Amino acid sequence: MTVLADPALAADARRERQFFLSLSLPALFIVGLAAILPIVWIIRQSFLTTGGEYTVGNYEKVLSSGLTWSALATTLELSLGTLAICILLGTPLALALASARPRVANLLMAFVMLPLWTSILVRTYGWLVLLRRDGLINAALTGSGLTAEPLPLVYNFTGTLIGMVHYMLPLFLLPVYAAMRDIDANLVRASASMGATLGQTIRTVILPLSSGGIFSGSIIVFIYTIGFFITPAVLGGGKVNPLSTRIERTLSTFQDWGSASVLGILLLVLMALVGVMFLAARRLIAGRRVGTAYA
Amino acid sequence: MSWLRISLAALAISAALPVHAQTVTITTAGGDYGNAMKEAMWGPAAKELGYDVHEETLSDGLAALKMQVTSGAVTTDVIHLGSPEGAQAAAQSLLEPLDYKIVDPNSVPAGAKSDYCYPFDSYGTVMSWNTKTYGENPPKTWAEFWDVAKFPGRRALRANAQDSIEIALLSDGVAPADVYSVLSTPEGLERAIKRLEAIKPNIAVWWTSGAQSAQLLKDGEADLVVTWNGRAQTVKADGGAADYTFKGSVIGTDCLGVPKGAPNKEAAMKLIAAMTQPARVAKLTDFIAYGPVNPAGYEGGLIPEDRLKTLATAPENAGTSVFSNADWWVKNGEAAQKAFDEMMAR
Repeated sequence: MTVLADPALAADARRERQFFLSLSLPALFIVGLAAILPIVWIIRQSFLTTGGEYTVGNYEKVLSSGLTWSALATTLELSLGTLAICILLGTPLALALASARPRVANLLMAFVMLPLWTSILVRTYGWLVLLRRDGLINAALTGSGLTAEPLPLVYNFTGTLIGMVHYMLPLFLLPVYAAMRDIDANLVRASASMGATLGQTIRTVILPLSSGGIFSGSIIVFIYTIGFFITPAVLGGGKVNPLSTRIERTLSTFQDWGSASVLGILLLVLMALVGVMFLAARRLIAGRRVGTAYA
Repeated sequence: MSWLRISLAALAISAALPVHAQTVTITTAGGDYGNAMKEAMWGPAAKELGYDVHEETLSDGLAALKMQVTSGAVTTDVIHLGSPEGAQAAAQSLLEPLDYKIVDPNSVPAGAKSDYCYPFDSYGTVMSWNTKTYGENPPKTWAEFWDVAKFPGRRALRANAQDSIEIALLSDGVAPADVYSVLSTPEGLERAIKRLEAIKPNIAVWWTSGAQSAQLLKDGEADLVVTWNGRAQTVKADGGAADYTFKGSVIGTDCLGVPKGAPNKEAAMKLIAAMTQPARVAKLTDFIAYGPVNPAGYEGGLIPEDRLKTLATAPENAGTSVFSNADWWVKNGEAAQKAFDEMMAR
């Protein structure tokens, strides 16, 4: 920060900073009320028995149960699976959108955004209509003789993954698209004029310059999918049980608020860990890129 | 002017009534069900006893009961609960024991009996099937439901230990009367879970809501669906290719209890006895397909012949079905559900 010589100017700047800070107070208040208070309450609850006495029994019970760890594994499988598919599908799509003419890009963007404006329940049940045994896709497959038997597309892991990718793809796409659109077109031209093939240009120019967007998109996908409940509950057919459905069962069948709180904290810790890992990886890559640029 | 006349008339009428009419408060679930109970059961009983009965409606009877009893402000005399909630309430000492001088404990089958909450009507967890898949020859027993060679097809079960472990034992040749004594041994629960694990590869969907089970049956997503009789009946009545049987069903009941410290305890017991007379619980089926738990409700043609098919406790099903044992579930529910969940995760 620059040191201001004139004390009057410095006071002015300080007043301005305080004013901007006061503008953010309502938002801070809401965040505090809606996010931090419940978390504090959940942490407190996780240390209480149903009778309201202090205990660490909830942690012992939850962490020693094989069900918790299998639910955790399912959660990670779903999140990483969704993320992988989003990267594979979303990155080329963002590239196409960023390089298309503005009118085409706007039209394509509208198609991408449309699902984002539809309720998740409607979308989930929509997939049920498409994917179920006598649904549209299976009817087309068996009707045309492509498959003899309807394929098991829903009420399993596959169906859950389809529903989750459908939900997350637009949210992944937006930051990636923004990053790619901001790439200076001259850099791409320069790369081509120096004899790089299209593949080389994508690999050495476009992808490194849009890695920030891909990272942001990946964090969004991961954080969102870790807590997904409706999609596995409806499309998983009872066979896909991540931590979120485990929490629901703990509450609705056992009325065990203490254990459910521990599971909730486990989710929070998982999110924090993943967030830190992503940020560390991002810094590492950014650092290496700067290093090579000056080499 | 007319207002004045009406209120004067009302005053005159109320003055003519006996001053010390016994008042009793009953808490029901309200809605169509609550109205049916009023029309068929406590309305006529109140008239007979000369009681002035007030109705309160609540969707979560157990929570309300707990609040009233623990705060020491009990306002309700008779409360309508599901039997599992009744057993939970009894275990938490929220209910008065039934007064057997007034309420006859032997009027209901032994399997349904409770010392705290008198069971009066019933529904069933039944086997339903797609009539397009099986035509005239659906599986008739739970053993046949498990027989995937003889009855190929996709099955759907509830993603819950409740009723599923009872059905698993029935399929394994355990007699209905022995289900809970077998389940009460550690090997018994293990046996039920093993049996479920054996059918697991053939379960297309483990459903989590009644509406979902009906949808699976209606869409033909599954050929054999374990569901509640009301859901199966709705699909059938809507023209779906579906049918069901009460043979071998697991029967759940609703019950009436008296909160601990109720202001009019004795009158409450008398009201329970009067409103569950056979003719009255039989009359309830005019409004809603919940069959009487008291077998006398089926005697003397109180219920029309053609309605019996829709009632879980109809005499022709007796002996094949099991009453869900609420006390067993209160005691063992968590362990059973844990074993079930572990089976699901394997």
